[in-house]
Amino acid sequence: MSVEKFSKWAKSRKGQRLFVIITFMAVPLTLLMLFTYIPFLEMFKFSFYNMKYSGARTFVGLKNYAEVFSRDDCFKSLLLAFYYIAASFVQLGLALYFATIFCFNLRGKELFKGFLFFPYLVCGIAIGFIFKFFFTRGFVLDTVLGWIGIPLESLPYWLKDTRINNISLVFTSVWRYLGQNMVLFLGAMMSVDQTLYEAAAIDGANAWNKFRYIMLPSINSVIVLNMIMSISGSLSAFDPPYVITNGSFGTGTYFVIMNRIAHENQKVGLASAMAIVLMALIFVVTIFQKVVMAKLFPNDESEESIRRRRMKREKQLSKGGASV
Amino acid sequence: MYPNITINYEGVTDYVESITMRLTTDDWGDICMIPTTMDKVELPEHFITFGAKGDLEKSYIMLNNFAYSGQVYGMPSMGNAQGIVYNKKVFADAGVNEIPKTPDDFLAALQKIKDNTDAIPLYTNFAAGWTMSAWDAYVAGSATGDPDFTNMGLTHGANPFQKHEDMTGPYAIYYTLYESVARGLTEEDPTTTDWEGSKGMINNGQIGCMVLGSWAVAQMQEGGNHPEDIGYMPFPITVNGKQYASAGPDYCYGINSKISEDNQIASMLYVKWLIEESGYAFDAGAIPIVQGAEYPDVLKAFDGIDFIIDNPPLEGEEELFNLVNNDSEIGLNNSNEPKQAIVEAALLQSMTFDEIMDEWNEKWTSAQENNGVTPEEYDYIAANSQ
Repeated sequence: MSVEKFSKWAKSRKGQRLFVIITFMAVPLTLLMLFTYIPFLEMFKFSFYNMKYSGARTFVGLKNYAEVFSRDDCFKSLLLAFYYIAASFVQLGLALYFATIFCFNLRGKELFKGFLFFPYLVCGIAIGFIFKFFFTRGFVLDTVLGWIGIPLESLPYWLKDTRINNISLVFTSVWRYLGQNMVLFLGAMMSVDQTLYEAAAIDGANAWNKFRYIMLPSINSVIVLNMIMSISGSLSAFDPPYVITNGSFGTGTYFVIMNRIAHENQKVGLASAMAIVLMALIFVVTIFQKVVMAKLFPNDESEESIRRRRMKREKQLSKGGASV
Repeated sequence: MYPNITINYEGVTDYVESITMRLTTDDWGDICMIPTTMDKVELPEHFITFGAKGDLEKSYIMLNNFAYSGQVYGMPSMGNAQGIVYNKKVFADAGVNEIPKTPDDFLAALQKIKDNTDAIPLYTNFAAGWTMSAWDAYVAGSATGDPDFTNMGLTHGANPFQKHEDMTGPYAIYYTLYESVARGLTEEDPTTTDWEGSKGMINNGQIGCMVLGSWAVAQMQEGGNHPEDIGYMPFPITVNGKQYASAGPDYCYGINSKISEDNQIASMLYVKWLIEESGYAFDAGAIPIVQGAEYPDVLKAFDGIDFIIDNPPLEGEEELFNLVNNDSEIGLNNSNEPKQAIVEAALLQSMTFDEIMDEWNEKWTSAQENNGVTPEEYDYIAANSQ
């Protein structure tokens, strides 16, 4: 290609477009590479080494991965994720409920919205300290339960009793993230065209019908997003068990164990392998979830599905036409 | 000899970081506290020697930290000991008149506190986390009386956590923890203990004792209105009829090698005065480093007890203890979880104490093997008598 030809091409609409794309993309891509993908690849590399933060590294192949699967504390800690996943369904249900209520005219709804969203603004460490005192024997929770007539003797130790301590911890994360889920739902619900409700009302739809056939399908993608965030958040739960119980009494989640292995025992390679295994797991769960959601809500309004349906209809029509 | 010298003190925040940087300039003053970041090899370049270690050892203790090729470059300002902070009044009220000297005596004393007073006999401070790995500080010196135990007995010894019939060694330390929890001699709910609150509680007599280094004594005295009730005792283990306590130097004074000879001599005399006559260590409730010096009241119980300061590791093995320690995940002095697990097992009765120690021995042995150590029988009592 001659210089002349190149400069001509560069001045053309096509060339200009490419330049603009490259210049705009360069900054975010560089940042993304520098702070996300390169560190990630480094960690991926670490997972094949036996190493500390400083000092010599030895290549050990897949030994770290084998250890992740053979240690009993790694996968046992993943079972705790079920507590958090179960809670995330409760949390999403509640968030959806509150968001729906706030969609309608309600006195003081801004205030209540604020109350529910506020915990999300508090940092996780502070929440940990708040709940440490909240659950302490004879402190906030026990006192409040005392007011409604439950004697202290019949109450469990909220953080020590291994039957309920995980539920106590999960409660703190529901308390924290409920507001965030709610706001996301609310945002999606507000963007639904109001005329649809009016039209449905004229057709005689009641409140439930409106919710089921207008609101729910319209916020489908936000539901999926919230679920994916909640479940991957459940698998990687860290703040509450780390700050409140430090993983003691059977509350050590996968992340708490990983943190301990990396920082207290300085087994960086093993901890990196744990992180990679968890990531793979989150991938699998997310894909599984996408598939299930697609089955549950087949009538989502994405462009593709509309096109697919239209084609299907046209095909049927042409078939029908032929048979007539 | 040097009258009319003026001494200016400079307070520095972020001490270790700042001084490490300033030492590179040669013009940082005459005397400083040598930062722990200083490599021994660099000592002669920055500091003058206080004299040969052999000579100084006749008059002072704890000189190991900044000794290099036979010369001492740093003199400890004071020494810290490892023991148990306790409330003298609670112990007296419970009818414990003699300081317990063995784990079982100690547990019996705690039982008396539980039976005869309202105080919590032993407060673990479980929730704070680091307070649990504080128990590791007793494993070497206090439990064995052997200055080589960390770098020989633990690093090279076979099954260092095994039971010794005389109730000494690391086993006895953690046995004390397990049994006091299992017998209900600790706080009801370990998950919600409160470190800041515990200072006031021990001061007011709501807590019998806590297992913490001597640095904690001053904080417990300041925690309330009864500083006179706070006492400090050695860990209740008797090795061959004698009690020991792990100990180590606090910050050490070093004198600038780049200043005039006149200033060096004046500085030397000032450091000597600080150590021998100022009463600084005594007033701080710490161990004075002069041989045979009088201990402050709070350390009276340490009279006649040998302080054990770990000997340095063999050459070429500087990292070995850390490697084995981290690999085993028992994490002496750096991981809280295994010690928290002892409390959990004792409370929930999910494992017996011997099962835990067997598991630790197993992990320790495989960590030794991973790092090319062949475990050998190590007898710290024999090592002591040599």
